[in-house]
Amino acid sequence: MKVEDVVCPFCGCLCDDLVVEVEGTRVVNVENGCTLANEKFMGDHRLKAPIRRAGNAWEEISYDEAIEETAAILLDADRPLLYGWSGTFGEAQSVGVHLAELLGAVIDNTSTVCHGPSIMAIQEVGHPGCTLGQVKNRADVVVYWAANPIEAHPRHMSRYTTFCDGFFVKSAFRERKVIVVDVRETESSQVADEFVKVNPGGDYAVLSALRAIVRGKRDLIPATVEGVSREQLFRVADLCMSAKFGAIFFGVGLTMAQGKYKNIRNAIELTEELNRHTKFTISPMRGHWNVYGSNEVFTWITGYPYAVDFARGIAFYNPGETTSVDILRRGECDACLVVASDPGAHFPRACAEHLARIPTVQIDPHVNATTHLSRIQIPVAVTGIDAEGTAYRMDGVPIRTRRLFYGNYPDDLDVLEKLYRIIREARG
Amino acid sequence: MRVVLKTRPREKPRIPIEAEEIIPQNFLRKDDITVYYGNKERSLEDLFFVTIEGPAVSPDQVEVVLTGETGMIKRVGEYMNAGRIIIEGDIGMHCGNFMSAGEIVIRGNADAWLGREMRGGRILCEGNAGHYCAAGYRGEKRGMRGGTVEVKGNAGDFTAEYLSGGEVIIHGNCGDLPGVEMRGGTLVVGGDCARPCGNMTGGTCMVFGKARQFLPTFRSNGSQEVEYAGKRYRMNTFRGDVANRGKGTLMVRA
Repeated sequence: MKVEDVVCPFCGCLCDDLVVEVEGTRVVNVENGCTLANEKFMGDHRLKAPIRRAGNAWEEISYDEAIEETAAILLDADRPLLYGWSGTFGEAQSVGVHLAELLGAVIDNTSTVCHGPSIMAIQEVGHPGCTLGQVKNRADVVVYWAANPIEAHPRHMSRYTTFCDGFFVKSAFRERKVIVVDVRETESSQVADEFVKVNPGGDYAVLSALRAIVRGKRDLIPATVEGVSREQLFRVADLCMSAKFGAIFFGVGLTMAQGKYKNIRNAIELTEELNRHTKFTISPMRGHWNVYGSNEVFTWITGYPYAVDFARGIAFYNPGETTSVDILRRGECDACLVVASDPGAHFPRACAEHLARIPTVQIDPHVNATTHLSRIQIPVAVTGIDAEGTAYRMDGVPIRTRRLFYGNYPDDLDVLEKLYRIIREARG
Repeated sequence: MRVVLKTRPREKPRIPIEAEEIIPQNFLRKDDITVYYGNKERSLEDLFFVTIEGPAVSPDQVEVVLTGETGMIKRVGEYMNAGRIIIEGDIGMHCGNFMSAGEIVIRGNADAWLGREMRGGRILCEGNAGHYCAAGYRGEKRGMRGGTVEVKGNAGDFTAEYLSGGEVIIHGNCGDLPGVEMRGGTLVVGGDCARPCGNMTGGTCMVFGKARQFLPTFRSNGSQEVEYAGKRYRMNTFRGDVANRGKGTLMVRA
């Protein structure tokens, strides 16, 4: 059976034009997908049943037993951490937030290791953003700053920018100018009209220099700024100021580099400055599939987008204090529930070591690095393949994903609702 | 009155204690002080051995002494408006949040957000301070507004972010971006730092060591002599941050 207009469950692009061929409970072919999408749909490394660590081995247990034991671990904790959430759908994320409130836990999503600093900058100075449709149809200058879309978001350029014609940009490849700013040459820099190579950690100074140039303070700029010549900075500023519609996309190369959210703030303030001359927008290249959705859901319910601490019954937010990496590095939490993420693969070693020391439970379809740190793992359906729900694209557009077949696994929502019911009964 | 709080042994010593009720005025009029240990509210006596010596009729006659394993205790001295707190060892985050008067002395190191959005009074840290020393909360447009924070050792990144008033003196080195978004007050860095005063709009920052990765958006404004730690130094003076139409003063040792 062929299913059309399928939404890809991998990156923040949420490409919704895939054609997927299904036989029984297996995907056998994917059309229009990138390499990452093909691997996501066709990959076959699912955990068969819930498992529990028994000495140096694993034993299979029932779903009921796994969920009850997870509830007992979380109820016993004085500072539980609920981490992940970006690989699942909004309805499950919502139950997760209510569970955190009930437990007095900290709940955090993968923004903590990707675009959390972008949100912090937006909280300081706002967000002159737009949808990807606007970029596709209008942008004649596109800037990729510290992002490598060809490898990380393989269809971004072909669906929205360089290789995609728009309503007002009839011949995109000829009419759109592409500027890539990065610390090294990449696949994406090779298709750029202008490649700006910045010294590692030098983005903040280059952004400040561009702001000064756009303000008309060219006399102030030294011969080079963090490896970029004054002439190239003038050329880039002129290109941006003469655009009809410009769009900046930035990646984790900017959010996780020295200066973190101050880099993003500087980029946003450059965008605001450019808006005195023309129309310019700025958007993060969100990586984890529904990470934008987790920020939305957390914010609806708590007022904060990630790193929400319910220890005192009310929501408190302070990245650096209530973010998972910081909590784990300091050894604060005494139990952890990981949902739809793999911190074992992405977190620093000290954090992974603490996860191995405390009772960690993972709800995830696949065996991954976090499995090896966990006491219990509960396999679930994969959202967008055998589970459906709402996810948010990187530009904040909600899209309903489809279930391609009915499999043998419960979805995240089923497991979390059951967990919530047990904990609510125990708490009275 | 002298109040001595010595921490009791805890089964899980890495779980933070939130203790904003540990301020001198509370010991004058309250006997039901509570603190949070993780997600549980506990009485002060559950977590500390409490000794009270002598009388007091006003908060400025109260001295609170914290000893033991104090490095994970947060928010000590929050909204303090009189008296004195002495911490014999390290202290956790947010020590002296919003304090308006009185004195806090930390014999060891202070974790992040020391003197956050402080209005008045004095904090002396004899060890090192963490990130965001004398800064503001997330999204807050004004950090420290008055009083004095003095750190004998080093301070972390984003020291005095959004500084709006008062004086911050770091005798050692600072991390990245000290005085970022600064709009008033005075920041003194005795040692080295990186990228001082990005996006500043007002106030004065003096760096007596090396300023690494100096930002290109500061305009040279001559030089002048300044006294620090009993010596006079010639300082190159800059105005900026021009990227932000700033009118702050940044001085770096010549």
